[in-house]
Amino acid sequence: MTSQYKRYALTRAAQAIAVVLLAYVLTFLVISVLPGDSITNSLRDPQHGLSEEEIQRIVAFYGLDKPVLVQLALSLGRFLTGELGFSLQSNLPVAQLIGDALPSTLGLAASALVIAVVLAVAIAYGAHYLPGKWAAVLRSIPALFLSVPNFVIGLVLIELFAFRLHSFTTTDPNSAAATLFAAITLAIPVSAPLAEVLIASLDHESRQDYALVARSRGLNEASLFVRHLVKPSALPTVTMVALIVGELLGGAVITETTFGRDGLGTVVQKAVTGEDQPVLQAAVALSAIVFVAVNLIADLVSPLVDPRVKVRTEVHA
Amino acid sequence: MTLQWKDNDVPGTNDAEALLEVAGLCVAYGRNSVVNDVGFILERGESLALIGESGSGKSTIAKAVLRLLPHDQATVNGSVHLGGRDVLALPEKEFRPLRGRSLGYIPQDPGSALNPVRTIGSQAQEAAALLGTGDADTRRSGILDVFKEVGLPDPARVYESYPHQLSGGMLQRVLIGLTVLPRPALIVADEPTSALDVTVQKLILDMLSEFRRDLDISLLLITHDLAIAAERADSLVVLKDGALQESGPSRQVFASPATEYARNLHADVPALNPDRYRHHRLASALQPPAAVVPQIQVQGVSKRYSAGGKDTLAVDGVSFTVERGSTHALVGESGSGKTTAVRLLLGLEQPDGGGITVGGEAVHGRSRDSLRSVRRHLQLVYQNPFTSLDPTWRVSRIVGEPLDQFRVGDKADRAGRVREALESVGLTAEFLSRRPADLSGGQRQRVAIARALVMRPDVVVLDEPTSALDVSVQAGILELLTRLQGELGLTYLFVSHDLALVRQIADTVSVLRRGKVVEDGPVEQIFSQPQHPYTRTLLDAIPRVSSPELQGTPTLPQLAKATR
Repeated sequence: MTSQYKRYALTRAAQAIAVVLLAYVLTFLVISVLPGDSITNSLRDPQHGLSEEEIQRIVAFYGLDKPVLVQLALSLGRFLTGELGFSLQSNLPVAQLIGDALPSTLGLAASALVIAVVLAVAIAYGAHYLPGKWAAVLRSIPALFLSVPNFVIGLVLIELFAFRLHSFTTTDPNSAAATLFAAITLAIPVSAPLAEVLIASLDHESRQDYALVARSRGLNEASLFVRHLVKPSALPTVTMVALIVGELLGGAVITETTFGRDGLGTVVQKAVTGEDQPVLQAAVALSAIVFVAVNLIADLVSPLVDPRVKVRTEVHA
Repeated sequence: MTLQWKDNDVPGTNDAEALLEVAGLCVAYGRNSVVNDVGFILERGESLALIGESGSGKSTIAKAVLRLLPHDQATVNGSVHLGGRDVLALPEKEFRPLRGRSLGYIPQDPGSALNPVRTIGSQAQEAAALLGTGDADTRRSGILDVFKEVGLPDPARVYESYPHQLSGGMLQRVLIGLTVLPRPALIVADEPTSALDVTVQKLILDMLSEFRRDLDISLLLITHDLAIAAERADSLVVLKDGALQESGPSRQVFASPATEYARNLHADVPALNPDRYRHHRLASALQPPAAVVPQIQVQGVSKRYSAGGKDTLAVDGVSFTVERGSTHALVGESGSGKTTAVRLLLGLEQPDGGGITVGGEAVHGRSRDSLRSVRRHLQLVYQNPFTSLDPTWRVSRIVGEPLDQFRVGDKADRAGRVREALESVGLTAEFLSRRPADLSGGQRQRVAIARALVMRPDVVVLDEPTSALDVSVQAGILELLTRLQGELGLTYLFVSHDLALVRQIADTVSVLRRGKVVEDGPVEQIFSQPQHPYTRTLLDAIPRVSSPELQGTPTLPQLAKATR
């Protein structure tokens, strides 16, 4: 590892941190310009049954009587020290709320990612190597996958596999089978762009001179695919996968609702309807961190995988 | 040469048979026929050149012989006999072992012929493993040996390198090394040097000739360059639009071409006709100097780039002057600094030292805005007309763009000037509404020239204006440029790597090497009495078939016979 690469990695990491902080600030500002003083409004909701004294204490804790910018500074300071505050709805610590929901969502997103990658590779391989008619069918699949909304796929899968075939029951949405189908639901639209990029780069790479020259040395098609085409075709998808993680997080919210699973999605949904600012703020910060981290990893890996990527210290954003 | 691999002879070898016999070969993509009834014979140990321009089907024939055409799209008819066996009729499984072992292939662009994300060594190992000789270590030493044979300076380092870390010439050596590794009976070389510098081109061609002589490897050379073909091949097959025009021993086809097409091809090659545009040049030289001040003055210009913590002097104290109405050529190979010199002249970059004046006005040290006034009189025609024209624009907009930029006249004025500029480059008004995709390479370059002329400039910088074009198209563009110079009194700065071309068109020349001018002066003087060894190397690299002493040399091997 060269010192140049180290410098590159440090610059990238610093940029990533800046992006997370910026996302935090923007979320805070957006929530604070929303109509109504969200915190005070919901605090005074008789449902919570808080006494005036308790309300005063919470207001003082969040600095709600101070100007927005001071609130922002306080909030940012708490965020940086790992203090996420308490949910306004349930009074539970935000860290605990999210910590409980996270494993379920991460498991769902990770299995969906694996399924999406496998699906995309299978589609791309078939589209490239199957005879004409079948290849054409496979090539049209990504467009189909993209055009069907996530929840429709979920409902169709539930109807077919839960109600007709009884592969899983909707009453136990956290069972392995139910998780699998939820993951498939989440994976299908996400695999589409991945498959499209793979098909395109496989087409491109197999037309390159080096593929022709390798064939001219007597290499058969299978070795050509494994030894020559896979790696260069996969390179553009490294960046792609990083972007897809964002979609997975978004899609998880819908999929969890469709399948009735408890997870980050349901937490966020409740927080939005209940104007639960601390939870929302933490959830957005968490998504930003995950998204930025995955992209950071992709950026750091690319130069190691592709010898042509030149590491530049002054990165033009 | 001490290559020690087992002699992979062509199966079914029969000495009475020709090595390669192609008969009635037809290739079609759908209904579109690209090769039509082509036949020729290549004898063992000899070389044959397929020559033709783009679209002549020469590369398709090469790929048909190697069976590398996409079999789901191309239909191939006819026969290709290699050592007496019809390779087109063989099942893929039986043919594949012939590839690499009996039939080697050297591609056109070495820069793209190796997998960019794998080391040279791993790809060489793969090629050697296909031949099934020994374990990884013996293969490695065999590979290093062959790398040394093909003149690679540091074989071990090359072995560890990735393709992008080597120059084009080195990559082509690697590829040739991998091709001769199994000592094939035949090497098919598809324009093996057209992507390389002229001096490297000569070395590579020399090496191929040497292999043919020492290792008895026959050569099927595909080229667009008649001079190279005539210099290197025993027999020639001239192709046009997928059909055979003429074939026979090189000397015969070359000395007395039977068809009009072959005669034109001959006349258009600069290396063979150094004096083709001489009358234009003399005419311009006879004009009295219009001004005392030279049109372009470049004095001691230098430009430094830093890359990877290392400073490189791309241009190091370059000086030259160009008189009004004359053509000055900057000649050099890649890395010589000619492109940087042009960028400095156009004001696209600022020099670190020295000065540049165009028409008495300084180009260096000016603000962007004040440069605009200089640019009006200074236009560029770029190398590659396939990338220099916006594909979504129509010709009228492309040519009119500079007028819009400089807000010249009103709408009617501009339309008139666009039409006039198009006319001057020999394109009719019906081209106005076309897009670049509808134009041929030559037409595109004419549009690019029209775009440069529409501002009525004094100076036109021609950056390798014909290097992306066929020779016959090149001839048309050169004719146009010399005519326009006479009519409009233009001053040209002509950038090229092709000395033969420069000799045809330029009045004065500067030879650049690694950012320095190694020699300059009038073209005749440089060509007749080169002082610097580098200039002599460049001149030696020009294929020299036209010289009478070579035509009669007995060293030419026995001539191959070509059918039809």
